[in-house]
Amino acid sequence: MNSTDSKVRCVIIGGGPAGLTAALELSRAGVEPIVFEMDKQVGGISRTVDYKGYRFDIGGHRFFTKVDRVHSWWMDILSDEFLVRPRLSRIYYQGKFFDYPLKPKNALLNVGLMEAILVGLSYLKAQAFPYREEKNLEQWVTNRFGKRLFTMFFKTYTEKVWGMKCTEIGADWAAQRIKNLNLGKAALSMLAPKLLTGKNQITTLIEEFYYPRLGPGQMWERVTDMLEERGCPVRLEHRVKTIHRDGEQVIGVTVVDGDGNEERFDADHVISTMPIKDLLNVMDPAPPVDALEAANRLRYRDFLTVGLVIDSPELFPDNWIYIHSPDVKVGRIQNFGNWSPYMIPDKSTSCIGLEYFVQEGDELWTADDEALIELGKKETAKLGLIDPDKVIDGVVIRMPKAYPVYDHGYKENIDSIRGYTDKIPNLHLIGRNGQHRYNNQDHSMVTAMYAAENILGANHDVWDVNVEEEYHEEAHAEKGHGASGERLVPQRVREASPIEILNDAFAKYDPVALGGALGTMLGFVVFLATAGLLLKGGEDAGATLALLGNYFPGYNVTWAGSLVGALWGSIFGYIIGFVIAVGINVTVSIHLGKLLRRLGVLDGPIG
Amino acid sequence: MNKEHFSEDEWKAIGQAIARLRASVMAVTFGIVGGLMLFVATTWLLILGPTGDSEHVGPTLGLLANFFPGYSVSWSGAVVGLFYGALSGAVSGFVLAFVYNLIVVFRKR
Ligand SMILES: Cc1cc2nc3c(=O)[nH]c(=O)nc-3n(C[C@H](O)[C@H](O)[C@H](O)COP(=O)(O)OP(=O)(O)OC[C@H]3O[C@@H](n4cnc5c(N)ncnc54)[C@H](O)[C@@H]3O)c2cc1C
Repeated sequence: MNSTDSKVRCVIIGGGPAGLTAALELSRAGVEPIVFEMDKQVGGISRTVDYKGYRFDIGGHRFFTKVDRVHSWWMDILSDEFLVRPRLSRIYYQGKFFDYPLKPKNALLNVGLMEAILVGLSYLKAQAFPYREEKNLEQWVTNRFGKRLFTMFFKTYTEKVWGMKCTEIGADWAAQRIKNLNLGKAALSMLAPKLLTGKNQITTLIEEFYYPRLGPGQMWERVTDMLEERGCPVRLEHRVKTIHRDGEQVIGVTVVDGDGNEERFDADHVISTMPIKDLLNVMDPAPPVDALEAANRLRYRDFLTVGLVIDSPELFPDNWIYIHSPDVKVGRIQNFGNWSPYMIPDKSTSCIGLEYFVQEGDELWTADDEALIELGKKETAKLGLIDPDKVIDGVVIRMPKAYPVYDHGYKENIDSIRGYTDKIPNLHLIGRNGQHRYNNQDHSMVTAMYAAENILGANHDVWDVNVEEEYHEEAHAEKGHGASGERLVPQRVREASPIEILNDAFAKYDPVALGGALGTMLGFVVFLATAGLLLKGGEDAGATLALLGNYFPGYNVTWAGSLVGALWGSIFGYIIGFVIAVGINVTVSIHLGKLLRRLGVLDGPIG
Repeated sequence: MNKEHFSEDEWKAIGQAIARLRASVMAVTFGIVGGLMLFVATTWLLILGPTGDSEHVGPTLGLLANFFPGYSVSWSGAVVGLFYGALSGAVSGFVLAFVYNLIVVFRKR
């Protein structure tokens, strides 16, 4: 590669899905790229680790995409090696398995009558005493589902995954994730499922998914073989420690291998999938201070899997289980044999992966492997999922920077970084951490395909790949759960904007709602008053109340009259409530208009 | 704060928020108002004394005894009325807010 032939010299940093896709696309177009991967194996976060023949994913990786080009690419590479797997994943809470997405009948049976009543009461309480503000996740979910359901199905898992309290997570996240589900709909779907077959039905998750026989790593190992066959080297244990720049061009990289030897490679193009934060720190000369500081402000969430080999052929039928129990730290448990039976070399055993969402350097991250395996054994035993005496082996896999975090200001940080990198046209930033984007393999691959085509003369915007576009099937179900999924990342609660403060102070009353409420109440009062007098009986009962007939034609103190009175009461109540609300709203609008005019932000009346 | 502080969309959003009612606050407010109203109405009639041909004080208001057992237009009845007025006010305030919030949530979906 340090030769000076006339071919385009392209260095690719990272042997994950994005790096390897870019390499294969380039080699198919006649360019001979070289890939540097700092790890001992390829696949990045989508690798499959081999431990004594047992294969572990970093979190199970489903192969599902809406991008046809990516789907064909996968099929083209592994075709026969793909299995179509049935999907089962449930929530484990207080010793019970709950269907995921939640199904009311199953949930009811699991919690029991008493708890179901308490859930109902807590829902009613939330309707009667809603949080006035819906700034954080807890307030948002509680207002819609009640505190008890929030605690059971939202709180613990979300806090485990994101390492933040639900009171610190902004409500917008929940609003995006859970908007399609509500208790009314859920109850209706239980009682009358046919009524809900319209397009708003809470669709179930994809019930099947593609999965390579030997895990996602098999895909990337195969691509590596193809590259080697084509004469494109994939150098493992080669970390890029410096990217050299000359003016507005990158001109090469220096890599360091496992033995500490350094080597410099010249390049016409550099494609980087390494975390953007690290990238800016290895640029030579260093980037401007503001871009570097912005990069150093980017945050990540890390991930740790404790793999346990168990002397038992069958444990539970799920691919994975969400652990909602607050008394254990484990967040999710994968059962790799149910992803693919070929992941287990000895069919009389099983292999599970306990997933812990951690922060690099925290107590769990730094604990030694034996301690973590012990913790895994203890926690699964506590959950009642396995017999700890049957654990015959264990392994720990740490994955730093598994999740890029979208905290407040991350967008500004990316803008600031791009202010620098966009000026270097032959440096191509792609992939998940390469763009600090929360994408799956498919979108990481699309950015790679675009970058490869750009090198060949196309003009795609690699930042324009739409990762927020949700997977239809997944989106609905993830919303139902409100806690997992790989797409949306919660953001911290933010200060209220001036608009929100204004809206809070000048919120309008809903005339229909106030009318409806007052109508319902007045209707009931007239009915109950009449009925009370009728039941009491006696001479001349209700003579005075009957005077209402002057206003309510047809009303008298009889049973039929009580219904007529209820109807009239509702009508009068509705009108009075409606008028009161409109009156208040008009007054409030006049005040708001006056205020805004005084502040000089409004010329005419409020539109 | 001036016009440039808001985008078109934000601008449109001002004043569009729908208020929710706090059932607890409504219950307490209506309870206080209801209790005081019946208490004051009763004591006012007692202070005025019998009017017209009637020997009785407040015969019409006294009919409330049909719904509020123990109530009468008397000094002790005023205290009983204070309790009943507060109770029915609180229940009304609570129900009003509860039904209002339910309708608001329903209409938002
Ligand atoms: C728990 C979890 C579950 C997931 N589930 C799914 C799923 O079901 N389906 C799905 O499609 N996606 C899933 N994903 C997402 C998927 O893993 C990623 O989108 C994908 O791996 C991103 O590929 P990438 O090449 O952009 O980055 P990475 O996979 O991060 O690869 C980057 C590579 O660069 C290497 N590198 C970094 N710095 C250097 C350096 N200085 N020098 C040399 N090499 C370097 C790294 O070692 C790594 O191998 C999941 C992710 C997680 C965390």
